[in-house]
Amino acid sequence: MKTDANIPDPDGFYEAWVAAHEGLSDAESADLDARLVLLLANQVGDQAVLLACIAAARAAAAMDRPGD
Amino acid sequence: MAAAEVWKFAPAYELPSWPFEPPPDLGARERRRYPVVIAGGGLSGLTLACDLLLRGIEVVVLDEDDTVGVRGASSRGICYAQKSLEIFERLGIYEKIRAKGITWSVGRTFSGADEIYSFNLEDDSHSEQPPFINLQQFYLEWFLVERIRELDAKAIRWKNRVVRVEHGAELAVVVVETPAGGYTLEADWFVDATGANSRIRDALGLEAHPSRHTDRWCISDVRFKKPLPVERWTWIDAPFNEGRGVWQHLMADAVWRLDYQMDEHADPESISRPEVAGERLRAQLGPGVEFEFVWIGPYQYRDHLLETFRVGRTIFVGDAAHVVCPFGARGGNNGIQDAGNLGWKLALVLQGEASESLIDSYHAERHAAAVENLRVTSRTARFLAPRSAAEHRMRRAVVALARTHPFARRLANTGRMAQANDYPPSAWATAGARTVQNVAFDGVTLMRCLARGTRFLGLAVGADAGVLAELDGLAALFPIDFRRIDPQSPLTKHLGAAAGTLVIVRPDAYVAAALPAATLDTVAATLRAALGIDERAKLSTLA
Repeated sequence: MKTDANIPDPDGFYEAWVAAHEGLSDAESADLDARLVLLLANQVGDQAVLLACIAAARAAAAMDRPGD
Repeated sequence: MAAAEVWKFAPAYELPSWPFEPPPDLGARERRRYPVVIAGGGLSGLTLACDLLLRGIEVVVLDEDDTVGVRGASSRGICYAQKSLEIFERLGIYEKIRAKGITWSVGRTFSGADEIYSFNLEDDSHSEQPPFINLQQFYLEWFLVERIRELDAKAIRWKNRVVRVEHGAELAVVVVETPAGGYTLEADWFVDATGANSRIRDALGLEAHPSRHTDRWCISDVRFKKPLPVERWTWIDAPFNEGRGVWQHLMADAVWRLDYQMDEHADPESISRPEVAGERLRAQLGPGVEFEFVWIGPYQYRDHLLETFRVGRTIFVGDAAHVVCPFGARGGNNGIQDAGNLGWKLALVLQGEASESLIDSYHAERHAAAVENLRVTSRTARFLAPRSAAEHRMRRAVVALARTHPFARRLANTGRMAQANDYPPSAWATAGARTVQNVAFDGVTLMRCLARGTRFLGLAVGADAGVLAELDGLAALFPIDFRRIDPQSPLTKHLGAAAGTLVIVRPDAYVAAALPAATLDTVAATLRAALGIDERAKLSTLA
């Protein structure tokens, strides 16, 4: 799993990600992100990297949660 | 307002029954010892009995009933996979199954009105048998009983109930109850094929790790005139079933199995009332399609997996050993394939050609298969019954993308159809064991080659007469026959074997080893390992 910067234009990516959610309800936004995860996962195409990304995202959830 | 519909029922299936005949052990002065005693005349028990009889092993099957199928129920299993069909070809009942059953290979998955995924199992099939045949389970059991009775009319003892088993290191002592009284017999090997609720297993106090699922379904087996494709159709979220799953499959006698996913809190009694089930069918089939019920059956499912498939001389097969979620036809087929794995091993051990340790390879291989099948079916169960809002969201994402993006179709999981499991590396097969399909070559088929006796098959790719003559020396020492196979033959291609390779195929049509530069020593070592024979055994005769 890459942890160093690999997105060519980070601010541009973030802007586009935010823009994609504009005008959507929370539920629609969550649906969009779920579709985005699948599309990106297929671009990665490496099982070990995918599992490492899932673990990293989950670990961050544990850190966000007080007392967990 | 339209008049209320009248729901029609077809007459029940007419199943055969066989008479109780007092067994010779009743009132005998001395206990008799049998090589193999099998408790339970379901798919796995009957397949094993038939397999052993063809290998020349005397068998006693104890069945507490006097018929096939499950009383009061319709068919349980309906889909029989290629590996099972290949076993039945070897046992001599395949043609009956093909003639009675429904051959299919295409499956389609729908969301709403849209097809989002399909497969054609013909793409990976090189066998003489098709990927799948659907048939009510009791017909298959019926064919097996008839075949067993041809081989040994006394092998199956109807109305013989096992009441107690004493499990020894060298034998099992089986206490049996019959309408004419009780008796006791001894078994070199005792096989528990009594199914998911095995009392024999429970009496041993073995840990089976059971778990229950809350997902709820209701089967309607139905006959109707509307022509539908002979394919496996599944809906993840059918508009005609309140957005829940539906399965549509054809069986013999023009009976369709329609299986509806229900609200998990639904009352099983009310969802299976003819008028409720009838409304569901009417919604699916549309107005004006005449149909009659054959059977309505609500169910939930569970799973379990026994930690060890062998305790001393007692061996567990089929549902007694493992139950998986009912998706992808991985239940009955694995009971049949347990029998296919065990039969030749028991025969060779009893005939003195292999050591008793070979029976441990039955556990090593079939337990691994059961672990894999449990994992595969549990993943399907999770896809079909999301447990949280987040899981519903994930599934929605898959379904939404599947309509336009081919990659997402592979994530839609309404069952991964049963395949013959490959076996992991072990003392008996250092590179693991891989299944071989029943490919035709040189005017024969693999299963025909394996149907005579209980012998391995050494396929020497492109070998000359000299090499074969040398190899034939081994055929006198080990249960193996050798034959040359052309480098261009369809079987060679299926095996992926290069010229000069010796492929050693086990009696259950699994590759024990593929030796690229075989010598008499490496072939003998491979066979000794595959038979669990000591290093020194048969070495002196070879030298």
